[in-house]
Amino acid sequence: MAQPSPADGTASDLTGLETIQPNGRVRPLSPHLQVWRWHITMLASILFRVTIGAASFAAMFVVAWLAAVAFGPQAYAAFLAAAASPLGLLIGIGLTLVLFSFLLNGGRHLINDTGTGLTVPSANTLSQISVWGPVVMTVVFWVGLFATGRVSL
Amino acid sequence: MTNPVRYHKGIKVSEHHGTVEWTVEKIALAILMPLAVWSAWNAFILAGADHQTLMAWFASRVNAGLLILTLVTFFLYVSLAWKVIIEDYIHKPGTKGALLGLVNLTCLVLVAAAIFFIVRLALGSAPLPAGFGV
Repeated sequence: MAQPSPADGTASDLTGLETIQPNGRVRPLSPHLQVWRWHITMLASILFRVTIGAASFAAMFVVAWLAAVAFGPQAYAAFLAAAASPLGLLIGIGLTLVLFSFLLNGGRHLINDTGTGLTVPSANTLSQISVWGPVVMTVVFWVGLFATGRVSL
Repeated sequence: MTNPVRYHKGIKVSEHHGTVEWTVEKIALAILMPLAVWSAWNAFILAGADHQTLMAWFASRVNAGLLILTLVTFFLYVSLAWKVIIEDYIHKPGTKGALLGLVNLTCLVLVAAAIFFIVRLALGSAPLPAGFGV
């Protein structure tokens, strides 16, 4: 790999990882969200924080479900009717997506926290699973719900 | 007042209580993994169930106990996770402290309410408000 030449004012590396400063010197770009080359490990890491945020709100719906059951059949019937509405279904699908994302991405985090799965291929594989796995599991879950007649439109 | 800097295998050891918090966070997450599978399974079983079915489900001590364990562990984990996120982005001491307090208070209120509802359902108590303020 050619080294950046400090004086001649031309970037030797064409991957866009170097920049020409106003004084004409070639310098490497500093890593920042907008210039960092996107990678699946980044996406998995960011999505885990998003998942934790979403799971916090999801937990409020779980407590609301508990409250509805505890307030008796009438309150629970109102909850079920709301859950069967288009918005309710959308929230329900979101809740399962968050749950599966928490499971798979949390599992990835735990594995990486023990210092394993950190080679480039295994980190990539774990990240791919935690990004796409929840989508697949959510589809399977809801297809199952509709197929067994537990939920219907 | 800072403790002397210590190293373990060439890595700086937390000067305060960061190590304990990190460990608690990992243990909580590890406990939540099988509980998440259990929750997904029961969400599938109980989706659209009628009130009677749910009361029978809550009457099982295993179900009620595991649900309480899930929620207590979850809110413990999530409060620590929010602490890490807030400490990463908020550096003004007053704002940071207020947000941390708000997160902890919200988690405590939600987990207390959840345990209250679950215990009542497990005992087969009369539907709320059942004498509370009425």
